[in-house]
Amino acid sequence: MIMKILIADDSRVMRQIVTRTLRQAGFSGHDLVEAADGRQAHDLTISEKPDLVLSDWNMPEMTGIEVLRALRAGGVNVPFGFVTSEGTDEMKQMAEQSGALFLITKPFTAETFADVLGPILG
Amino acid sequence: MSAPTTDDLHAITEQVWLSYLDPEGVNPFLPSSEAPESPLVIASVSVTGAWEGHVIMTFSEQAAELASAALLGMEADEVTPDDVADAVGELVNVIGGNVKSLLPDGSLLSLPHVVTGDSAGTAKWPATVEICRLQGSWQEEKIAISVWTSKSAGEGS
Repeated sequence: MIMKILIADDSRVMRQIVTRTLRQAGFSGHDLVEAADGRQAHDLTISEKPDLVLSDWNMPEMTGIEVLRALRAGGVNVPFGFVTSEGTDEMKQMAEQSGALFLITKPFTAETFADVLGPILG
Repeated sequence: MSAPTTDDLHAITEQVWLSYLDPEGVNPFLPSSEAPESPLVIASVSVTGAWEGHVIMTFSEQAAELASAALLGMEADEVTPDDVADAVGELVNVIGGNVKSLLPDGSLLSLPHVVTGDSAGTAKWPATVEICRLQGSWQEEKIAISVWTSKSAGEGS
C-alpha cells in the first residue's frame, strides 16, 4: 500500500538523506511530502493528512516537539516519530510523553530505518 | 558528568563518517596534527543552559565541498554555496547533538551557523576555552572538530 510520509527538517540535505535512507531501507514508492520548518510541518500535516510524520527536533518557527504537541492538542493523531541529532534520555522521555512513536538518532543507518519503520510501513 | 574528550569526538566522527560520508568504509577520516588552512568554512552550534559552549567544525574550503557532495550524492564541482552551508551546518548539528548527549540534562542546542569566505578567517569565540579537539584529513583535505566551553563554567557556587 502506498503511504504518504511527511519529512520535516530545516536542512534540505538531511531531507534528501532521509529520502535516500527510506529507499535503502526498502521503503520505495511511497508518496513523500517535505516541510522546511516546524510551522510548515504542522500546517502540511493538517492539509496533506500524511500516514506518518518523520520530524527533526530543532527547527525554526516551531520545534518538532511543539509541532507534535500542537497536532495532538488539535486532535490530530497521525503516527509521528523524531529523526534528530539529539537522543538524550530526557528528550526520548519528552517525545514519548507527547505521543511520539519513536526517536531515531542521527547519524542513522538504513538498518535502523528498517527496524523502526518496518512495523509501521510494512 | 565528565566533559567531552577527543576520544568522544573520535567515536562520534567515526559514526557520522560511516553513516553519511564514507558508507563503504573506503575514505575514513584520519586524525593527524595538521589543522585546516584558509580559505576555511566554519560551522558551529552553540549549547546553552546547564552547560554553555560551542561545537565547531572547521573545514578547508575543498573539504567542505567534498563533504557536501558526498551528502548530496553529487560531484564536488556541482555543489553551490547554499549546498555547502546546508550540508556542513547539518554535519555540525549531528556532531553537536551527539556531543550534547554527553552533557548534563537541561542543555539546549542552537540551530547551526556557517561562516564562509573572508569572514571565516576572522571567526572568534570570546570568553570560551577549547576543551577538546580532533583534527585530521579526509580525502587529503583537512577538517577539525573542537568543543569550547564558557570560561566561567564551574566557577559558580
